[in-house]
Amino acid sequence: MGVQSKSLGLIETQLSVIWTRSKPEILQNSHLTCFMFRLSNRIAFLTMFLVGTAHGVESPDFEKSVKPFLQEHCLKCHDENKQKGDLRLDTLPLDFVGLKASGHWTDILDRLSSGDMPPAKEARPKPQDAAIVVDWIATRLAEAETARHAKEERVSFHKLTRDEYVNTLRDLLGVTYDARDTTGMSEDPDWLGFERIGSVLSLSTSHIEKYLAAASNALNEALSLGPQPKQESVRWTPFEMRSTEGWMISLKEYQQRRLTEKVRNDIVPNNNATGTPGEGQNLKIPTTGEYVVRIKASGLYPQGGRPPRIQVFASDLDRILFERDVDAPEDAPTTLEFRAHLPAGTHIIRIMNAVSGPEPTAHSSRGNGAVFTSLKARRPWQLKLTDENYQPAWPILLVDEVEWEGPVVESWPTPAHQRIFGEGKGDAAHAKEVVARFAERAFRRSVRAEEMERYTGFVESELSAGKPFEKAVRSALLAILCSKDFLYLVEGNAESPATKLNDFELASRLSYFLWSTMPDEALLADARAGRLHEAETLRTQFRRMLADSRASAFAEAFPRQWLQLRRVGMFAPDKMLYPEYDDYLQNSMIAESTSFFREVLVHNASLREFLDSDWTMLNQRLAVHYGIQGVQGESMQRVALKPEDHRGGLLTQAALLSLTSDGTRHRPVHRGKWVAESILSRPVPPPPANVPAIKTAQATAPKTSLREKIAAHLEDATCAACHRKIDPFGLAFENYDAIGRWRTEETVRDGSGANPKIDASGELSDGRKFADSIAFKKLLVDDLDKFAAGFTEKMATFAMRRVMTFSDRAELQRIATQSKAQGYPLASLLETFVTSDLFQSR
Amino acid sequence: MSNIISQRWLLNRRHFLRGLGATVALPFLDVMRPLRAAATVADKPRRSVFIYIPNGVNGMSWQIPKAGPNFEFSEALRPLAKHRENLTVFSGLHHPNGMGSAHVCADLWLTGAKLDTNQRSARNSVSCDQLMAEVTSLHTRFASLELSVTAGTGQPNNSSTLAFSRDGVPLPAEDNPRTVFNRMFVPDPGGVKTEGERLKTQRSVLDLVLHDAKSLRRNLGSEDQTKLDEYLHAVRDVETRTERLESWLDVPSPVINKADADHFQRNISKAQAGDYYRAMYDLIVLALRTDLTRVVTYMSGTESNGLAIPEIGITQSRHQLSHHNGDVDVLARLTKSDVFLMQQLAYFLDQLQTLKDGDEPLLDRTMVLTGSGMSYGHSHSNANLPIVFAGGRALGFKHKQHIDYNRMAESGYKLDYEEWRSICGRPKDGDARLSNLMLTMLQKMDVHTERFVDSLGPISEIL
Repeated sequence: MGVQSKSLGLIETQLSVIWTRSKPEILQNSHLTCFMFRLSNRIAFLTMFLVGTAHGVESPDFEKSVKPFLQEHCLKCHDENKQKGDLRLDTLPLDFVGLKASGHWTDILDRLSSGDMPPAKEARPKPQDAAIVVDWIATRLAEAETARHAKEERVSFHKLTRDEYVNTLRDLLGVTYDARDTTGMSEDPDWLGFERIGSVLSLSTSHIEKYLAAASNALNEALSLGPQPKQESVRWTPFEMRSTEGWMISLKEYQQRRLTEKVRNDIVPNNNATGTPGEGQNLKIPTTGEYVVRIKASGLYPQGGRPPRIQVFASDLDRILFERDVDAPEDAPTTLEFRAHLPAGTHIIRIMNAVSGPEPTAHSSRGNGAVFTSLKARRPWQLKLTDENYQPAWPILLVDEVEWEGPVVESWPTPAHQRIFGEGKGDAAHAKEVVARFAERAFRRSVRAEEMERYTGFVESELSAGKPFEKAVRSALLAILCSKDFLYLVEGNAESPATKLNDFELASRLSYFLWSTMPDEALLADARAGRLHEAETLRTQFRRMLADSRASAFAEAFPRQWLQLRRVGMFAPDKMLYPEYDDYLQNSMIAESTSFFREVLVHNASLREFLDSDWTMLNQRLAVHYGIQGVQGESMQRVALKPEDHRGGLLTQAALLSLTSDGTRHRPVHRGKWVAESILSRPVPPPPANVPAIKTAQATAPKTSLREKIAAHLEDATCAACHRKIDPFGLAFENYDAIGRWRTEETVRDGSGANPKIDASGELSDGRKFADSIAFKKLLVDDLDKFAAGFTEKMATFAMRRVMTFSDRAELQRIATQSKAQGYPLASLLETFVTSDLFQSR
Repeated sequence: MSNIISQRWLLNRRHFLRGLGATVALPFLDVMRPLRAAATVADKPRRSVFIYIPNGVNGMSWQIPKAGPNFEFSEALRPLAKHRENLTVFSGLHHPNGMGSAHVCADLWLTGAKLDTNQRSARNSVSCDQLMAEVTSLHTRFASLELSVTAGTGQPNNSSTLAFSRDGVPLPAEDNPRTVFNRMFVPDPGGVKTEGERLKTQRSVLDLVLHDAKSLRRNLGSEDQTKLDEYLHAVRDVETRTERLESWLDVPSPVINKADADHFQRNISKAQAGDYYRAMYDLIVLALRTDLTRVVTYMSGTESNGLAIPEIGITQSRHQLSHHNGDVDVLARLTKSDVFLMQQLAYFLDQLQTLKDGDEPLLDRTMVLTGSGMSYGHSHSNANLPIVFAGGRALGFKHKQHIDYNRMAESGYKLDYEEWRSICGRPKDGDARLSNLMLTMLQKMDVHTERFVDSLGPISEIL
C-alpha cells in the first residue's frame, strides 16, 4: 500500500490505481485508502460523497470529464518529461487533505478558473469543460477541508468568544465587563457568520494583555478589598448641559429673574449625531460600578410624525448608554430611568436626538444666549421649529434635568466577596479552600489537589512576601482567570484519547450552547454525579435550561450568527440615497429577525415558518418602513401579515434583504450567495480573479435594470457555470430594494426613459421555474427536508464549535428526520439534537 | 519555531537599559541625543512604517508613464511631488502567492504567504514588520504598534491587521487614537511604585499559567497542538513585554505637552475622514519621535472598510468605488479618493521631514512603505500593485525614481481601461516580487536574513 500510494498517477500502468477511486474493489490499494485510514472513521463516508456533493447535486465524473481534460490541456508541460513550474500532474496524488498535494490542486484550480492556464499560446479549452474541472477540484477540496478540520487532537481548545467571556465573568464575579468599549476587546473573527469556530478563533499577545486587564479590573470591582465606595450624585441642569458662553450669560439674567427653572435644553435632530465631532459634558466617575441615571424630558413632534428619540452616548467609550423615543407634552415631562455600568475616569457624555433628518435651526437667527423655555414663547428664531399654527414641525427633544447616582452597592463586602472568601481564618488552609472553590467554578469541572498546588503555593509566597491575605488570594484568582482552563473550553485529555465528552465537558457544551455562559450549580451537580450523559437527565436539564431566562442568549446569538446578521449595516446605506435609514431602523431590522427566531422557538413552531409565514415581528419603526399600519411602540410584537404586505418568513425581512447590499444598491448575486450559504447550506466558491467589467450603458441609452446587466454572467460560459446556480436565488427578491423596501420598478439613475419594471422570475438549475419571491418561497417549502437538514447542520456547527464533516452527516440526517413527522418543530429538534450521540461526541 | 522569542525572553532586563541614565527629563529624540553620544552611527534608530490602502487604485490616474529619475508625477501621486528626493515609485510588483487568490490581499501584504483560501483557519506566516520588531524591541518600550481603521483582526481573508506573529496569528490592531495615546503616554495614575507592583504580580501570574500550560504541553508530546502553542507563545510574549516594561519603569514616560495630549483626547470621528487620518498619522509620528517603538503597521482602510470622505463629497466606501464596473463617474471618484489618501500620506511625510532626529530629519532613518495588495479592484486583480517607498535616505537608499517592472518604455502607456485591467491581471515580470522590497527593508533594519518568503534578492536599483 505504502509504495503504491506514493507513485500513483496517470501513467498507463498506474493509472487505475488512484484515478479510478470510484471503483470499490481497487480502493483498497489506493492512495485514498491511506488517508482514509489516517483520518479514521470520519472519512468513511467520503467514497459516497465523491460521486455526488452533499445535497445530492451530481458532480462531474473524474474519468469521463476531468482526466481527459487534464490529459489534453495540461500534461504537455506537466508530465514525466517536462515539469514547468515544478509541477508534475501525472503523478500528482488525488490527495486533497495533505498540505502539499492539496496545495497543488488549489493552484491548479486557481489557474484554471482565472484563465491563467493553459497559457495563451496553447489551444483554449472550452470554458464549460474547464468549468467542470474547476467544479470537480473545488468540491474535492471542500470535502477534504472538512475532513482536515475534523482531525482529532488529543486535547482540543475552544476559546471563549468575547460575548461568552463577558457572560462567564458576570456569572463568576457578579460584575459587568464592558468588552465592546474602546478599551475592551475586538470583535471575534467569524466563519460564515459563526463566531465560535475553534480553529478560526486565534489568540495573540494583545488578547492576553486584555484578559489580564479585564480580570484585574473585574476582581477589583467584585471583591471588597478597600473601604466601601461612597454613593455620589451629580445633577445637570440645562445650563450645565449647554454651558456655552451665551447660555452662561443668560444664566445670570435668569437667576436674577428667578426663572432658571423655566429653561429647558432643546435638542433638535442631527444637532450632534453619533459619529460627528462635537463637545459633550464631562462626567467624573470616581469608582467603577453600576450607576442609576434619571432624565426628565419632553418630546414634541408633528402630528403623524416620529417622536424625538433620546440617545445618551459616552463618546470616549464609543457606547450608547441608553436610547428611547420620548413622547411627552411640553407641560408634562416624563422621567426616564436606566442603569449604566461605567468604569472609573472622566467620560464625555452627549445627549442627542437620534431621529434622522436635517438640522432645522442650522441657519436660524438664534443668538448665542438665546435659551429655550417653551414653543409657546414664539421667539422669532423659533419660527423654524414650528408650523404656522405654532405646532412642532420637527421632532424636538426637551431635557430638563439629568441625574447620575452611584455606584450601586448591594452589600459590603459584596455578595461575590462573601461567596468567594466564605468563612475562614485567613490562613494558608483557608486560601487553599478559596482557590479550589473558585477554580472549580472557573474551570467548570472538579479540580485535582495537585493541580491546585501551583496556585496555593503562589498565595503562600505572596503571603510570606507580606501581602495581606485577601490581596494574596486575589493574585491567585487573577492567575485562574488567565489560565488556559478558564479561557478555553478544553475537551479531551492527554492520558487516554476519548471521542466522547466527559460529563463536565458536556455540561459546558450544553450551557455555552443554550446560555452562552458557564454551567450553573444544578448542571455541574449532575456532571459531578456522573449522570449528565444519561438521556433522561440530559433531557430534563435541556428543558429546564431552555425555560430559563438565560436561554435568550441562544435565541439571540444563534440567529445572529446563522443568518450572518452582523453584516447588516457593514456597508452603511448611502445617506443621500436612503436618508431615512438610521441606527434605530437598523437595530429594529436585526431585532425582527432574532425575535422571529425566538417566537418560533418559544412556540415550538415548525422550521417551515423560517421559509414562509403569515406573521412577523415588528415594532413601530419597522412597520412604518414596511408601510404596515397599526403597530405602536418600540418593542417587537407579533403582527399578522396580509398578502399585500409582501412579507413572510425570513427571506423577506429587511435585515436579510439589506445585509448583502453595498450601501448604494441591492446586489442580487450576493443575495443569491447568502441564500445558498445560509438557507440552503450550499457553499459558493469565490469568484475568479480578473473578471472583465460588465459594459456600462451609454448615458443616452434606455435605462437598464441590474438584472439585465448581470445577465451577461450567463452568456459567458465560465461565469455561467456558477452564476446559473446562484443568481436565481437572489433575483427572486428583485422586488425589494437595498434596505428591504417593496418596489415594483427599479430606480435607475443612468440612461433615459422610464425606470425598468421589476422582473423577479427565474429558473433553478434543476429546471423548476418561479415567477416571483412568493413562488420561489413555495419551491423552498417543497424542499423543506433539505432546509431542515441544512438547518440541523448549522445548529450543530454552533453548538459543537466546529464545521460538520461527512461522518457527522448520517447522524445529522437522523436527527432531522426524527422530527419530520411532526413537521420539524424547532424546540423538539433542539432536544433531539442535544440528546443525540453527536452532541456528546467531540 | 519561536527560538528567537525565547532567546529574547532569556535576556537580562538590565541589558535593555544600556546607555541610558537613571532619569531622562524630556526623552524626545533630539533631547536624548547627548545620552546617546557614545553610540555609534550604526546604533542609531532604524524605523519602518507600513501603510495599507485597500481595494487597489484607479490605475489610469495612478500609473506614472515614464520610468527612471526623470519621471513626472501622475494625477494621483502629485500630492507627493515635494518628497520627490525621498521616494521611489514602483510599478509591476506583485506577490507570487497572491496571484489567483482574488479576495486575499491585505492578509498576505506583509507576509507573502500562500494562504489556503478554502481553509477556515487563520493560519498565515510571520509578517516582515514582526521580524523587524524582534530586533528593534530590545531598544524600545513597545515592540511594535498595530493600527487600523477597524479594530481587531478581522476575519481570515478579510484581515483588519497587517501584522502576523511567528505562529501566523493575526495581531489585533487598534482603531482609536485616544486609546492608543493613553496606552503609550499616560502613566499609571498610582505612580511608578503601584505600576511596579502591578507588573510584578502580572509577571508572577504569567509565570504560573505558563508553567501550568507547559506541563500539559509536555504530556501531549510532539502532536500538533496549535491552539495550545498559540496560547503558550502569547503568554510568554506578554511575560517578555512585562519584563521590558519593568526595566523601563525608572525611565519616565515621555512628557507630552497639554496641547498635544488634548489633540488625542478629543472625540475623533471616522466620519471626518481627513481629521481621523491625520490624527492617526500624528500618533505614529509621536510614537516614532519619542522612540516608544520603531515598527508601525497602519491599515488606513481594510478591504471592507475604506472610509467614505464626505468632506470632498465622496459618500461611498472605497470598496464601493472599486467596484466601479467601468463607470466613468465612479472611476473619477476613485481617483479623487486616491488623491485624498496621497494627500494624507504627504501630510505624514511632511512631518517626518520637518521633525529632527538629532541633526537629520526623522524621515532619513524611517522607511515608509505605502501601497495596496490589490491593483484592479473591480475584479480583485493583484499584479502590478501600487507601491510607494519613501524615506530612509540615511540608511543608504537611492531615491527619486520610478522603477517600472512592467517595462513599458518602448510601447509606452496608453493609460486606458483595457491596458490597466490587463497589466493588473498577471505580472509582466515574474521576478518583480514585493518580497524583494521587503527583504531590502529587513536587511536595512538589521534583520540578518538572505530571504523573505519568495524573495530573490534585495532591490539593487535603490541601494
